[in-house]
Amino acid sequence: MKTGGFSQIKNLCRKGHGHFLSAFTERTAPKADGQEISLDQAIDRAGEILRKAERPLLYGWSNSSLEAQRVGIELAKKLEATIDDTSSFCQGRIMERILTGRLPTCTLDDVRNFADTSIFWGSDPSNSHPRLLSRFAYYPRGEKRQKSYEEERTCIVVDVRKSATTKLCSNYFKVLPGGDADLIASVIAVLEGKIPKFGDKKLMIELGAILRKTEFGVLFPGLGILSSLTDKMDLLESLIAKLNELSAFKVIPTVEHFNTRGFNKLLLEDAGCINRAFFQGGKAIHGPQMSVSIASKKCDAALVIGSDPLSSLPFGTARSLAKVPVIAIDPHRSLTTDAAKVVIPSAIHGLEAGGSAVRMDGVKIDFDPILTASTLSDVQILGMIKEAI
Amino acid sequence: MESTVTIATFRDIFQNEAEKKSRYSEEYRGLSAQIILDKQDMANLGVKDGQNVLVKNEVGRIVVTAKTSEDDPHPGLAFMVKSPWSNHLIEDDICEMSSPEFKKTSVQVSPSGEDITQISELYLRMKA
Repeated sequence: MKTGGFSQIKNLCRKGHGHFLSAFTERTAPKADGQEISLDQAIDRAGEILRKAERPLLYGWSNSSLEAQRVGIELAKKLEATIDDTSSFCQGRIMERILTGRLPTCTLDDVRNFADTSIFWGSDPSNSHPRLLSRFAYYPRGEKRQKSYEEERTCIVVDVRKSATTKLCSNYFKVLPGGDADLIASVIAVLEGKIPKFGDKKLMIELGAILRKTEFGVLFPGLGILSSLTDKMDLLESLIAKLNELSAFKVIPTVEHFNTRGFNKLLLEDAGCINRAFFQGGKAIHGPQMSVSIASKKCDAALVIGSDPLSSLPFGTARSLAKVPVIAIDPHRSLTTDAAKVVIPSAIHGLEAGGSAVRMDGVKIDFDPILTASTLSDVQILGMIKEAI
Repeated sequence: MESTVTIATFRDIFQNEAEKKSRYSEEYRGLSAQIILDKQDMANLGVKDGQNVLVKNEVGRIVVTAKTSEDDPHPGLAFMVKSPWSNHLIEDDICEMSSPEFKKTSVQVSPSGEDITQISELYLRMKA
């Protein structure tokens, strides 16, 4: 480390490495209509756009601190706006079941200390969460798992493709796109001692045998299983309930962003729903109409924070957002900041800005900045916009 | 020559790192603008590794590089890293119980002499 920066970085995962290097690339500057302006002017323009908007949308939030998310929810109430986060298109339906107690969960420390079976269903942590296997799910010697992956831990992958994670796990079960519901039905049948209707019967019986021997299991679902189950999420609940008749079996969704769960938790506590909310008269209305997909087509202005929906969301949603005045709060240039009416640069969380967040397993983490920031944090920017309104 | 395949998107940590550094880099485009096809589908299309293909459906059209899959045979199923290129083909109509078809989108693939679609072109189409 050197004052205000760093001279070299070691022992980071590839995602962390990219995160550090991003401190020096594609940084944003305050802009309006493509012209550089002062930060104060950008805040004023943002306030003006939101003040005039009749149907504003506030989107992003999963890469913001809890403190910023709280201000964002207050802002949504003040503006009578629609507010949604990235879980709307990702693991929201599983996260909702976790946060409302419909699916049992545990911490990653529990996984490290007690888990003997981990199932990565439609998830590929080697690419999405590169320390999950090494720190928690497979390789570490936990309190009750001293013999770890050599003898005591089993990893199972269910996926449409042989992902990088399948190369580390000896148990791979292939599923066709949209075939997850049938596979779950087969697993439940095997656990009940019945003949499975779908899939390779021998493989299903092998999977059933592993699950029957499990003492403490954890399912790490990814977008793959969510996309496939659509309106059959109850099947997932049935599978977990069946597994819990045999042993302890928990669920931890492998969410993509560092504070998705934080936003979902805050909004649930405040408004009774985890995402897709529209505030009117201090009350929240929840439903698919408030998803970014539909709200982007009806809004007359949008504030996007810590997210690049023009890159990460389907073309129709991206095109809708590109056509309304967008206020983009982001440390980095993106398609969304390129299209934005107003760009407000923000400090990078964990590097230049501190705060707190809720990890994907529900553990609250406080973090401090390690670099000197040349711009404000999300929470400071949102506070100023709130005042400007 | 045209084949209909189903695309399932996936995450790639190298592409993710490239994205963090710059969405506008050659590295990011190279890791994003490609489709991984089954060996048989590559043969049916008459394309080899590194050749450009047009991928289109009713939502959009992009030109990307074709790459032969190293997975067990999966004719009719193709893979793309989740990116602005793959998202250009994804329908966004959703209901309460569903999410966009990031994992199951039908497309037509054919050999192409066009250049790889640039991210700037994708941006202009969004603004159009």
